[in-house]
Amino acid sequence: MSAINTDEHRIPGDKTAGISAGSSVLAEPANLWMDQLFSGRLVFVMGKGGVGKTTISIALAGVAERMHKKVLLAEIGDTDSIGRLYQDQPLSEVPRKLTQNIWGARVDPKAELEAYVRAHVSPGFIAGKIIRSRLFDYLFEATPGLKEVMSLGRLWRWEKQADNLAAPTYDLIIIDAPATGHAMSLLRLPELLINMIRVGPVANQIRGLQRLLKNHQKTSLVLVSLPEELPVNEAVEFYSMAEDTLNIPIAATFINCVYPVVFSPSDLKQIEIFEKKDPDLSFSPVSELIASARILNRRRIDQQKHIKEIHAKATGHVQAIPFCFTNDLTIDQIQELTSLILRH
Amino acid sequence: MTGMLNCIKDPDGPKIIVCCGSGGVGKTTISAAIGLYGVLAGKKTIVLTIDPANRLADSLGLKRFAADAQRVPVENLIAFNGEPAFQADLYAMMLDAKHTFDQLIARYAPPEFQKNIYKNRYYQHLSNNMAGSHEYMAMEKLYEIFNQNHYDLIVLDTPPSRRALDFLEAPQKMLNILGYNFFMRMFKPYLKAGRWGVRFLNILATPVLRGVSKMLGKQVLDDFAGFMQLWDDIMFEGFSRRAAEVKTLLAGSKTLFLAVATPQRLPMDEAIFLREKLRLNEMPFGGFIINRVNVASSNTELQGRDSDKVFAKARIDPELREKLIAAHKNMMKMAGNDAQSVNRLIAKTGAGENVLQIPFADSEIVSLDDLYRLARLFESNAAE
Repeated sequence: MSAINTDEHRIPGDKTAGISAGSSVLAEPANLWMDQLFSGRLVFVMGKGGVGKTTISIALAGVAERMHKKVLLAEIGDTDSIGRLYQDQPLSEVPRKLTQNIWGARVDPKAELEAYVRAHVSPGFIAGKIIRSRLFDYLFEATPGLKEVMSLGRLWRWEKQADNLAAPTYDLIIIDAPATGHAMSLLRLPELLINMIRVGPVANQIRGLQRLLKNHQKTSLVLVSLPEELPVNEAVEFYSMAEDTLNIPIAATFINCVYPVVFSPSDLKQIEIFEKKDPDLSFSPVSELIASARILNRRRIDQQKHIKEIHAKATGHVQAIPFCFTNDLTIDQIQELTSLILRH
Repeated sequence: MTGMLNCIKDPDGPKIIVCCGSGGVGKTTISAAIGLYGVLAGKKTIVLTIDPANRLADSLGLKRFAADAQRVPVENLIAFNGEPAFQADLYAMMLDAKHTFDQLIARYAPPEFQKNIYKNRYYQHLSNNMAGSHEYMAMEKLYEIFNQNHYDLIVLDTPPSRRALDFLEAPQKMLNILGYNFFMRMFKPYLKAGRWGVRFLNILATPVLRGVSKMLGKQVLDDFAGFMQLWDDIMFEGFSRRAAEVKTLLAGSKTLFLAVATPQRLPMDEAIFLREKLRLNEMPFGGFIINRVNVASSNTELQGRDSDKVFAKARIDPELREKLIAAHKNMMKMAGNDAQSVNRLIAKTGAGENVLQIPFADSEIVSLDDLYRLARLFESNAAE
């Protein structure tokens, strides 16, 4: 785990300003969290809606690609965030090549359930009848968590998929998890469902899934948060949950949109002295610059309180991602984040 | 443009304000400020919220939010110096889906059946985990409080739905799932009486049910049928009438929906999506509240200007000067981005919609007075 950023003498414009520790230029140190994350098979990128899960998912896929891994970026949920960034085309159930070594796909739980019915119910016309029946639609909507477990089942099958006996099709599957109020509910589902569905092929699948999820060599979690009260509260809740209930390790936490350090205490002091000395200041454009400086500094201070709390409670690696002063990142900007994570 | 929240002051104005939007946009804070705004207009107001930030409870002067209405000590507002300029009271209540569901059972089911319902696994999932149950229960509570007629104004802070759609369609979805006709057509032919008068689902009677039970296991269907049986016999009347009434109330003239967003793409898209949904369902839409908008402090553009001239009389060392210029550029950039985002919203939805912009606060909201300042912004915007 890295130390909290308490440095006060950063060079302005330094891109890594605000990142929690200085990057080492020595020979590649053994990075435990990276090992854990990228030597496994599944990485779930979790967090509240709007914290930047898609951004971090893509950046991590970039990191894995540079480690010469073949990556599948899988999107669960209603949004088309990944597809929108790549050629503005929504992803589909069939993986599509996005870059040299990154593939993208979207999980369609209903198609998955239909495939299941067809695989397990014979004769075929009965399976067809089930799929077309209103009862099927109804159970699909009403059975708690069935959609989610079907989504997880799709991931499971991608994990098992192999080009030949020796090598799996994808070295690593990075999952941009749905923006649920409580991100952990998805991963708790197999456990909840096993109490409801005890026999049959779906139950067997859930058990298989459970084994995969609880295998620490294969599955790990990444948490994305913002340095604000609610996301941090959720993050803190998530840490104890991951340990006690889920029993899946959190390899890393990324804190998104962190205002970089710009002004040192001596800078701020200089500004203060300057303001006192020059009463005409309020009429000069300099006062506007100073007002901007104060706002940014104030926001940074507010954020640091929340960041401290994450550091106090986090298990695993914690990294701050600097705010880019934009509402919408491009693929190029996300690739810069990839370099940033790698440099770390 | 008339102020979008002016109607709250009107004695014949809306009685229910529903704040919708994606999570993390400050919806709960905005809801609380709207509540305070109602109180300032002399209306006895209650704010219903889900999972609020502790800081907000602190700022309201409450230890924590509870499932019962709690009075907010508005007299502590420093702005009024102990002499409030209003007579009305503000209340806050936290919504709890499971709690509300259980209350509903307690209200409608005879005591001897209540235990069976609570014990049913399907019920436990439905009330705790099912997508839409929180949304539905928020509506249920809203309806209950509306009918008690204790308050002049109810502000509902909606649960953080994945999509606005979930929230709007919750009552209908629940009615579909628990509705009489559908269930009866589907299952009644296959229900057979067992010993002790309990009916069981005769799965073997139909190939479709047989197929489904092969997939999910018989247990699921049994639990499901068991729950439906209890529900059907005891609960249906009250429940379905209520769901229909909730729907009528939401679509009526006493309700106003507001879309809360921040200038980021995701919340903005969500807000536009919500407005579309409301229009399709002919539900009353009041406008957009865009929170945390960075506002340019001035028109000063440093680009192309000689910074030496700007700093001509200022003795600031060159390094700090560069930092100040860079920081200001970033502020201007954010303000520009946000303005662009708001303009895009207006272009997409037409100029006819109300858009209220709340500037990014200099500091976080930590006191009742901070909330008061926010509520005052509704006022000043109304004057524009």
